[in-house]
Amino acid sequence: MIGVEALTRGYGSRIAVDNVSFRVEPGEIVGFLGPNGAGKTTTLRMLTGYLAPTSGDIRIDGIDAVTHSIRARERLGYMAEGVPLYSDMRVHEYLRHRGALKRVPNLAEAVDLSLDLAGVADARTRILGQLSKGYRQRVGLADALIADPPILILDEPTSGLDPNQVRQFRELVRGFRGKKTVLLSTHILSEVEAVCDRVIIIREGKKVADLAPGDSEKSLEDVFAELTTTAATGDPS
Amino acid sequence: MRTAWVVLKRELSSFFVSPLAYVVLTSWLVWNGVVFWVLAEFYSRNAVSSGASNPLSGFFGGSALFFIPLLVFVPVLTMRLVAGEKQSGTLETLMTAPVSEASVILGKYGAGLVMWCTLWLPTLVYAWIMSQHGSVDWGAIEASYFGIFFLGAYFMAIGLLMSVLAPTQIIAAVLSFVTIGVLFTIGIGEFVLDGVAREVCAYLSMWGHMQSFSKGVVDTRYLVFDLSVAVLAVGLSIGALKARRAG
Repeated sequence: MIGVEALTRGYGSRIAVDNVSFRVEPGEIVGFLGPNGAGKTTTLRMLTGYLAPTSGDIRIDGIDAVTHSIRARERLGYMAEGVPLYSDMRVHEYLRHRGALKRVPNLAEAVDLSLDLAGVADARTRILGQLSKGYRQRVGLADALIADPPILILDEPTSGLDPNQVRQFRELVRGFRGKKTVLLSTHILSEVEAVCDRVIIIREGKKVADLAPGDSEKSLEDVFAELTTTAATGDPS
Repeated sequence: MRTAWVVLKRELSSFFVSPLAYVVLTSWLVWNGVVFWVLAEFYSRNAVSSGASNPLSGFFGGSALFFIPLLVFVPVLTMRLVAGEKQSGTLETLMTAPVSEASVILGKYGAGLVMWCTLWLPTLVYAWIMSQHGSVDWGAIEASYFGIFFLGAYFMAIGLLMSVLAPTQIIAAVLSFVTIGVLFTIGIGEFVLDGVAREVCAYLSMWGHMQSFSKGVVDTRYLVFDLSVAVLAVGLSIGALKARRAG
């Protein structure tokens, strides 16, 4: 379960995330949508402990993630936007390192399983710096899965994947329904319709919608456009 | 602390698979080879090689030639420790794993100390060469390496702190260079100033520090100073890494 209450984060005088509250129930797959610069990555970075909120509460699996950040991070698998990796390491060395950091028991077995789940077993001895974007994304996913966490937070997980890889990824995430709590940020509306039970839309740091893809008679694309374009909201800025 | 060990192992394996390690080690040995040759020539041509003053004591801190390369090599070794992770974005994956800031900093610091020892280990050959051509005071050699280790604990902690504070590796290197350079120069005040200021400069003097150790004198005041600076800089590094979350 992920619970966020009145989450706010400022950078100097600029408010990047403004009083955002939502919940993701156990086993639920939720899409986190918003235009570029809406505050998606900042929100996810606060959930994963990389950034501290200016104010507000975060609960990860019932643990207060602001005061007990390390315990909360033990319950999380996170795939950061752009998937930063140590370019000098081989895929299996990297996953071994990440598994060791996360204190994963039976490390060799966990590495093999995560390689299989993410579909990178064929690249296990390749050097990370020489991988294509698609492979890098999948190594990031393998890292998020290696400790078998109950909660997955994925920031733009399908960017750079080809259509076949996107399909495989969607099948994988659908398979988590009822087993893992998943919050994924994306720009791709069809992805949300294909895999998510619910969608949270933010704009300029504020939550503007929390709905199931089938809730509205309009298409998700129309709802998104209405909620996030300047003309639709009458915002002159 | 198991995670500190995981961080240390990764840091070292990354260093030793990079060309940087071999460029640094080779340049270091070329530089010190030339320094040792010049000192050996100097002492063989000038009949001053009596008592505690000899090519080895000169090599281990008896001359400024000991400190000049360190002003460059310490920043090069430490700049990547944290600033490199910031630049490549991997700090985000590292700090969102269930690891504490203290584990990350201690792992990086431990790796820095191992790199420092790797620099100095091959210089044992100079002591062996000297032993083949005359008598060597092995007690003074032991004290020299002891002093070098503590000096390294101090330098690497400063380099690490600058790497935490700086946004990029090059800025980290410049900050470390300036900090160690200023501390070295303050120490020279021992020969310039009078009174209390002279005492303070003498206490801070890395030159005095190594001159004492290279003659076999283990001065605990220097050890206390080195360890105090190291503990302070490592503690500040942990604090700065924690403060980054709010920044």
